[in-house]
Amino acid sequence: MSDPKLELQCPPGSGVAEILTLLAARWRLAEEPARALSRAFYDTFDWALFADGGALERRAGPQDPSAGTELVWSPLERPSHAQPEALVQSAPAELGFAAELEDGPVRSRILGVAGIRRLLPVMGVEGRSRTLRALDDDDKTLWRATLDELRFQDPVSGRTGELAARVRILPLRGYDEERDALLDQLTFELGLSPAQDPALLEALRAAGRQPCDYSSKIDFRLAPRDRADAVTKTILRALLETIERNRAGAQANLDSEFLHDLRVAVRRTRSALTQIRSVLPEPVVSHYKERFAWVQQVTGPVRDLDVYLLDFGDYQASLPPPLRPLLEPMRSFILAHYDEEQRRLAGILDGTELKELLTQWRAFLEAPVPDSPEATDAARSIKSVADVRIWRMAKRVRREGRAITPESPAADLHELRKSCKKLRYLMEFFQSLYPEDEVRPLIRLLKELLDNLGSFQDLAVQAANLRELAGRMRAEGRGDTDTLLAMGALVGQVLERQQRARDNFGVVFAGFLDGDNQDRLRRLFHARQDQGPDQDPDRECDPQRAQVAAAPSGAGD
Amino acid sequence: MKVIGVYNIKGGVGKTAAAVNLAYLSAIAGYRTLLWDLDPQAAATYYFRVKARVRGGGKALLRGDQGLDASIKGTDFERLDLLPAEFSLRNMDLLLEEQKGPTKRLLRLLRPQAPTYDHCLLDCPPSISLVSENVFRAADLLLVPLIPTILSARTLDQLLDFLEGHPRHRGLKVRPFFSMVDRRRRLHRELMERLPERYPCFLSAAIPYSSEVERMGIHRMPLIAYAPSNPAAEAYQALWAQISAALAERDGSPPDQSRVLAP
Repeated sequence: MSDPKLELQCPPGSGVAEILTLLAARWRLAEEPARALSRAFYDTFDWALFADGGALERRAGPQDPSAGTELVWSPLERPSHAQPEALVQSAPAELGFAAELEDGPVRSRILGVAGIRRLLPVMGVEGRSRTLRALDDDDKTLWRATLDELRFQDPVSGRTGELAARVRILPLRGYDEERDALLDQLTFELGLSPAQDPALLEALRAAGRQPCDYSSKIDFRLAPRDRADAVTKTILRALLETIERNRAGAQANLDSEFLHDLRVAVRRTRSALTQIRSVLPEPVVSHYKERFAWVQQVTGPVRDLDVYLLDFGDYQASLPPPLRPLLEPMRSFILAHYDEEQRRLAGILDGTELKELLTQWRAFLEAPVPDSPEATDAARSIKSVADVRIWRMAKRVRREGRAITPESPAADLHELRKSCKKLRYLMEFFQSLYPEDEVRPLIRLLKELLDNLGSFQDLAVQAANLRELAGRMRAEGRGDTDTLLAMGALVGQVLERQQRARDNFGVVFAGFLDGDNQDRLRRLFHARQDQGPDQDPDRECDPQRAQVAAAPSGAGD
Repeated sequence: MKVIGVYNIKGGVGKTAAAVNLAYLSAIAGYRTLLWDLDPQAAATYYFRVKARVRGGGKALLRGDQGLDASIKGTDFERLDLLPAEFSLRNMDLLLEEQKGPTKRLLRLLRPQAPTYDHCLLDCPPSISLVSENVFRAADLLLVPLIPTILSARTLDQLLDFLEGHPRHRGLKVRPFFSMVDRRRRLHRELMERLPERYPCFLSAAIPYSSEVERMGIHRMPLIAYAPSNPAAEAYQALWAQISAALAERDGSPPDQSRVLAP
């Protein structure tokens, strides 16, 4: 059992030599040969393991040198009764994805957390570890202690530096008095204090690194009275940041999420350009809408292949067992084309065209907003612009959703999905302008609706893509009859699931139409608005409106 | 927790050397192991350099005043703890007689240790006594080291007769093995052929006589820790493999491979 009280940290300016001298004055010491210590910490690009309260490391060194390199997961918080202690299994030569690890306690712990993200080095701690033993007159060990001299090595910035030396007491059962005497000596004579943080946190701090410094989630702190154009630039700058931070990972194809996050940020950028209307100069908006549409388009093929590969397990599982192996040629076919597509994508991501686009875009976003802007709403407060945009889009979603019948063509559902996505993005951009407990449930509701529409739409696309893929495989002589039949069965499955998603649409959309939610929408986004016809073009054709207005509303208008 | 008694009516048969080396092998195989030195001669305690005393004395220990916890000592080897011998336990029979349920005392004292240890080895004093009856009650497996001599064979008969005569011990799994074997002696070789025919429960691993085993008193550590390739050390390892198999026969649970370390 490890006891957090038994790991101590040297005060600045004192080191291992001093500790050794003082301990030797009191104890009969035996020293084992010093060993090199190497701890390499890993996490996903979005710090999923850290956020989950754990640190993953490859450890070569004093723990058990005979065991070779170990993979260790340990809790970031000090172990308590409720928390697990460190988990250990042997480490592979190279760390990639959690799923690739051999079965073991560390794999089980992190598999669901790291998911499909690659484990990347975030911090290194190197050093030298000595193990001391205190002996009695029979040469019986009374306690063991390790003395570690440590340095951090930041794999991201390349910086290195000193860390405080650490002493860990490894007590032996039945020798409590000796352990306490050692602890007292280290604390009172040598001024050591309990180590406050796990080595990872200490090293990150020493290296000036901030954990959890990347998230694809949108979380802007906006001030309601700020100028709309300035705030819009802030939002777009943050999205540009996400695009740029994911570029290298997508180019190197570290994992599929880099490209995915990049594409989502591009989609949000385009949505913001379209939806936050009359705020930025029109020529700028149309130019960059077109340029980012190009980015979306050229990054599409690899993403499509990623989705095939990510879904492949599910595809296989959805078929009856005898058909499952027949699908393998499909995977081989995708993999055969993958490298070529990825190479092309890497060329684009590293190419001048994209770099120039991003540089120019940054220059525009970082330029100060003009005193007398040309766009009509540029100088209005962001809150008033957000109210209008969200309210209008909410009404559009309501109108389009209510028009959906079991006979509606798939295109109508697709349009509704696009509207829902726009509404969700708008609410996410501007959520900090509204009370959190009010706006959050609406975003959740939209996510649910989007999941339903998404599965309907994605399944339709999947079915079409699978048919197209089957056609290409046949044309290239890569799909035998059995495989093509299995793919046919798969298309059947997908279409069935699509039908189920469609059947479920009514229930999910009823949640959105629910009186409480409509009240909330009105209260949040329409409360203080001028309801002139130019602000509310849907008024005449919105039968729902009278009903909603008649419903009791806390805010009133 | 599996309790393994190492026992013979007769002394000087390599019992303590077996208990010490088997406990060490259990620990390095990853099992949390406790070795209880029940022999007042305290040889096992000496081999691990631990002082032969228990907190409050033997009487308090048997009464269970503080449980066994207060007296258990960590050895210098990972996962291996020792409950030292105590000179006052030379009168253990008398002390046991004073207790309620005198044949179940050890079993009762060991029960609270079950969550802490996977294996407990008992290094037992020779003779058939109240102490050995306690060992028979507590143990899942009784290992009986035997020197291949006529007298030794007789002690095995005596033991098996005794267990047969006491229905409550009939379930005890008894596994004799040859110890201090000198293959240059014809009698040893002959008995090693004949006895296993008569007693099919014999383990086939046999510990050869080795002066290196006697040197454990100088090194004060298990033979395997300082002379792992000595023939006796290798024989202990073969013996441990057979014991593991015998233990697994009962419940089939393999050792827990996942290890837990301090962060």
